[in-house]
Amino acid sequence: MFNWKDVRVLYVRELRSALRERNIVVNSILLPIFLYPLLLWLVYTGISFVGGQTEGFASRVMLVGMPAEHRLLEQELEATENLQIRSAADPAADIREGTLDALVEFLPPKAGPPPLAGDFSTKITFDDSKDRSRMAKERVADRIRRYRDHVLGERAAELGIAPEALQEFWVTSKNVATGRQMGQFILGLMLPMFLIIMLSVGCMFPAIDATAGEREKSTWETLMTTATARGNIVLAKYLYVATMSSVAGLLNITAMVLSMKAVLAPLTGRSMTDMTFRIPLTALPLIGLVTVLLALFIAGGMMILASFARTFKEGQSMVSPFYIATFLPVMFLQIPGIEFTPVLALIPIVNVVMVFREAVAGVYHWPLIAITIAVEAACVALALRLATAILRYEDFMLGTYGGNFGRFMKQRVFRR
Amino acid sequence: MNDTVVVRGLTKTFYDEGRGEVHAVQGIDFECRAGEVFGLLGANGAGKTTTLRMLSTVLAPTAGTATILGRDVATDAIGVRSRMGFYSASTALYPRLTARETIEFFARINQYPADKVRERVEFLIERFGIAKYADARVDKLSSGMKQKVSIARTVAHDPPVLIFDEPSVGLDVLNALEMHEVVREFRQQGKTIIFSTHIMSEAEKLCDRIAIIHGGRILACDTLDRLREATATRYLEDIFVHYVRGRG
Repeated sequence: MFNWKDVRVLYVRELRSALRERNIVVNSILLPIFLYPLLLWLVYTGISFVGGQTEGFASRVMLVGMPAEHRLLEQELEATENLQIRSAADPAADIREGTLDALVEFLPPKAGPPPLAGDFSTKITFDDSKDRSRMAKERVADRIRRYRDHVLGERAAELGIAPEALQEFWVTSKNVATGRQMGQFILGLMLPMFLIIMLSVGCMFPAIDATAGEREKSTWETLMTTATARGNIVLAKYLYVATMSSVAGLLNITAMVLSMKAVLAPLTGRSMTDMTFRIPLTALPLIGLVTVLLALFIAGGMMILASFARTFKEGQSMVSPFYIATFLPVMFLQIPGIEFTPVLALIPIVNVVMVFREAVAGVYHWPLIAITIAVEAACVALALRLATAILRYEDFMLGTYGGNFGRFMKQRVFRR
Repeated sequence: MNDTVVVRGLTKTFYDEGRGEVHAVQGIDFECRAGEVFGLLGANGAGKTTTLRMLSTVLAPTAGTATILGRDVATDAIGVRSRMGFYSASTALYPRLTARETIEFFARINQYPADKVRERVEFLIERFGIAKYADARVDKLSSGMKQKVSIARTVAHDPPVLIFDEPSVGLDVLNALEMHEVVREFRQQGKTIIFSTHIMSEAEKLCDRIAIIHGGRILACDTLDRLREATATRYLEDIFVHYVRGRG
């Protein structure tokens, strides 16, 4: 059906031209490598910077009604380096104005069994909309909590019992996930999202360049008079666009995996040595396969839409809705506890995202993977067939057709 | 019979949303021979480009037939395209390829024997005097240089039939003259050249036979001398007006 020698000649021509176009190199190669690692690094640095700035401030707090039995607590609070004890005539107003960060009131305990001497409850007034005020509340609450644990320990020792026995129940938690599992969870959540974005970004410029770009540069008719079948031209362009998309996706995955440990681990609250961002080696062929399949799917959609444009700008506006639509499946990832089912395996893009997500965690549902591959392959075949069929229309081929894909289908396919 | 191009009853009807049915070409007949420059002379919108696009298989005829070296444009498009070079103002070059890459690409994709492509590319680079900028990207070339590369890519696969659709449009006098020289050279090599133009002097100078096309029909087709005899006028401009007005 196809003349592979011609397809190769056409494909090499497309690729050679593309690699000399700055926009394509930036969007399909440089951006996937640097954008997201850089963005994540910037976010992390920003958060660290803001956190550091807030940490550096001393919290201005006012103490009211400190019981005499707990002078030690007062001394501890006064001695705390990042706390300044202040007094104010109208503390609530001062907190609102930002001249005071928190008001700490030591109140008698509420109704209940007779308290021990000096027992108290604490009320902290603060402004949650101000970082400094929120920080002051956390610092004071933390000091008081530690002081309470110390007092409880002493009282338990006096009674000859364990400190836990003084409390009716006790909550402890333990994360059974290993650092590797945590890493895989984060990779499974983030990589498919970035993959789809990068496949689309990497695809967009080549798809428009190979179609609308040819018309804009008046090379389309030159190509149409060459001694090769139109099907070969479509296939070569399609493979070229899919190649650029796949390259963007695979480069992005590699860059993310390599940089994620350094960038993301601190954000999760775990130390870097705790987390392992590693994809199982056995998953790599499957991840590569589904990435290429997804690239082929996105390339098909974008090329068909862009081929109705007569200029690069028109191409961008025609492709944009599809570009945005490819991100929608990412929403699925946010549903808690979402399971990979046969129904999801039938939905293009979503199925690949799910296969990817499971593969990262080393989970393989082979029947669902087979359905996914079949569905994506069918979509790819359909896109190719559609592109070749559309090319048979002369006004489309000459670039004189003035509508978009939707209008074309309505006029030429559904009306028939 | 050494007719390399034979056109019989060739017709093209478009549907245009604004104008309805447009009869761009209405049953034209002509034939061209090897070693001949056949001119299609007509005003803008006369049907020249549509005719040539049908010959180059970009458009399919609505009716009639056209064959190039015995290959039917409707049933053997690839066979036709491999025996034909098409040059027009709307067939530009790939700006990001070099001149050398451009010629090589068109030689290969137009089925020139793979083992002779390199040799052919070097020959054309030499012939058209583009050696100095053979490895420069096309978008860096002047319009004169681009024209040479464009002609070289048209003949990259050494086709026996060449179609030039208004090749002088946008060229300055010197470049236009150079184009005429090239066309003459191809004629001497025995190639069949179909040359469309609306410039009377160009047709007068270059064409062995001229077909006057107007409203999608060929009003006259003969050598310049016979057209002069038939109309009793000397200049092609007057001959053209004679037929076009006479029809009106």
